[in-house]
Amino acid sequence: MGSVFIIFRREFRSYFDSPIAYIFLIVFLLLTAGWYMTAFFLMGNADMRSFFGNLPLFNLFFLPAVTMRLWAEDNRIGTMEMLMTLPMKSWHIVMGKYLASLAFYGLGLLGTITIPITLTMIGSPDMGAIVAGYLGSFLLGAFFLAVGIFVSGLFKDQITAFVVSLIVCFFFYLVGDGTVAQTVDGWVSGVGSFLQRFVGLTTHYADIQRGVVDLRNLIYFVSMSALFLVLNTLALEGRRY
Amino acid sequence: MIRVEKLTKDYGPTRALDGISFEVKDRQILGFLGPNGAGKSTAMKVITTYLAPTDGQVTVEGHDVTKDPIGVRRKIGYLPETNPLYTDMRVDDFLDFCGQARGLRGNTLASRRKFVVEACGLGRVLKKNIIELSKGFKQRTGLAQALIHDPKILILDEPTSGLDPLQIIEIRSLIQQLAQEKTIIFSTHILQEVSSTTDRVIIINNGKIIADGFISEIRRDLSDVTQVRAALGASRDSVERELAAISGVEGVSLVGEVNGSVTVELRTSRGQDVMKSVGELAVKNQWAVHELSSPTLSLEDAFIELVRRQTMGKEARHG
Repeated sequence: MGSVFIIFRREFRSYFDSPIAYIFLIVFLLLTAGWYMTAFFLMGNADMRSFFGNLPLFNLFFLPAVTMRLWAEDNRIGTMEMLMTLPMKSWHIVMGKYLASLAFYGLGLLGTITIPITLTMIGSPDMGAIVAGYLGSFLLGAFFLAVGIFVSGLFKDQITAFVVSLIVCFFFYLVGDGTVAQTVDGWVSGVGSFLQRFVGLTTHYADIQRGVVDLRNLIYFVSMSALFLVLNTLALEGRRY
Repeated sequence: MIRVEKLTKDYGPTRALDGISFEVKDRQILGFLGPNGAGKSTAMKVITTYLAPTDGQVTVEGHDVTKDPIGVRRKIGYLPETNPLYTDMRVDDFLDFCGQARGLRGNTLASRRKFVVEACGLGRVLKKNIIELSKGFKQRTGLAQALIHDPKILILDEPTSGLDPLQIIEIRSLIQQLAQEKTIIFSTHILQEVSSTTDRVIIINNGKIIADGFISEIRRDLSDVTQVRAALGASRDSVERELAAISGVEGVSLVGEVNGSVTVELRTSRGQDVMKSVGELAVKNQWAVHELSSPTLSLEDAFIELVRRQTMGKEARHG
C-alpha cells in the first residue's frame, strides 16, 4: 500500500503543477453544468436526467485528456527507466497512477454537487436517482480512465495517446447504442445485440442511471476497468523482453 | 558483487550483447568503454533489471535479475543515460519522492537527503524547479537521485556526458570519493575519462568484450604492437617508399610535412629492430634525423587497435 500511495501522491500533485488541471476542471464544470442548465430551464423538472445522459459524451473527450500524460510523459522524458527500476511491483505503480487520475475525475464530479444542492433548494428531487446517477458516472469514469492509462503506456506522444483512447472509448460507447446494434444485427444476425449486451457500456450505464444498481452492471464496469489495468501491467512487464 | 555470465540480449533480430561475462568485486570501480552503440547501455539496463536478459545469468549481491528483480533494485542506484527527472517538480520534492519510493521515511530520509544535497552540491538550487536548472545541476540531481537510498552498487551511464570540463572534473572526483565504499560501474566513450577515474576497464564493441583488465595490462597485451615515429629530412616520396620496404614494417602513415622534414608513423611488431633499420637507412641516404622514437601506446591507440583487430578478425572469418 505504501508504494501505491507514494506514486499516487506524486501523480495527483503533478496535475496541479501546471495550469492545465485548473483549465480542465473549469471547462468540465462549465460544459456539463452549463449544458444541463439550459435543458433544466427548458424542461422545468427537478431531476438530473439530462445531466447524466450527456455526461458519457463529455467524458469521451475529457477523460482521455486526463490520462494521456500518465505514461506517455514518462516514456518521453525517460523517467520510465527510473520508475521501472524502483523496488516496487509494476502493478503498484499502475494503481498509483490510475488512482490519481480517478481522484482527479472525482474532484470534477464533486464540483457538480452544486446542481443537486440547488435542486433540493427549489424543489424535491428524487435523491435515489441522483445518487445512482453519480455512482454510474463514477463507474463509467473508472472504465474510461483504465482504457486511457493503458493506451498512454503504448505511446510517447500525449496527443496520440489522447486520440487513440478517445477512439477506443468511443467504440465501447457506440456498440452499446441500440441503433448501432440493430444496424450490425442487419449485417450479421445476433452480433450487434451480443456486442451491445456484453461489450457496450451504454445499456449498463443507462440501467444504473435509472436506479437499477444490479450486480451485473457493477461487474461490467469493475471487470472492464480491471481488464485494462491488467493489460497495462502486462504491457509494462512485457517491455523488458 | 556483480556477476554476469554469458549474457546475451536481443532487440528483435538485432543482437545487442553477445555472451559477455565479467565480475565486479565489492568496492571495485569499473569503467565500461566502447563506441556508441557498442552495448554498454544495454548491459547496464540488464544489470539494473530495466531489461530482461535474452540468455545468460546476472546476479547482483546474490539476487538474480530474472528471479528476484526487486531484490536487485534495492541494492542499486542507477543513473540512466537519459537523465530521468520530473522537470515540473522542485529539486527537494523530487529527492523526497525518490527517497520515499525507495522506502526511506522520516529522519532517515531527512538525513540521507542532507547528505546527497551536500555531496552533489545542490544546496543552492533546492527550492528551484528542475526545469530551470542548468545541465550540470540537472546531472547532479540525477546523481543525487541514484544515491539517496545509500545503495551498495552504483550504475552510472555516461555520467559526464554533455557537461563542461569543470563540471566533468567535479563529477569524476565525486565518483572517486564514492568508490571508497561502493561498487561502481560507469560507462563512457571518452577514453581519457577511464584512465583518470579507474584502473579496471572493460572494452565493449559490437556486443562483445574485447578487453577486460587493468589499463596497464591491456597496454601490455598490446605490447607486440608498437609504433615508431620518425621525422626525417628528405622528400616525402622517398621516405615513404624506403621505410615501407624495411622488413617488419606493416604500414606507414604520414603525420605531417614541415620545412623539408617528413614525419611518419610506422606500425610494426618489432619496434627495436625497425628503429635500428630506420637509423641505418638515414645514414645510408644521408637524411637528417629530426626525431626517432617509439612512444608507448596511449589508451586511445590501444582502443583503436583493439577495435581494429576485432573487425579484422570478423572479416577474416567471413572472408
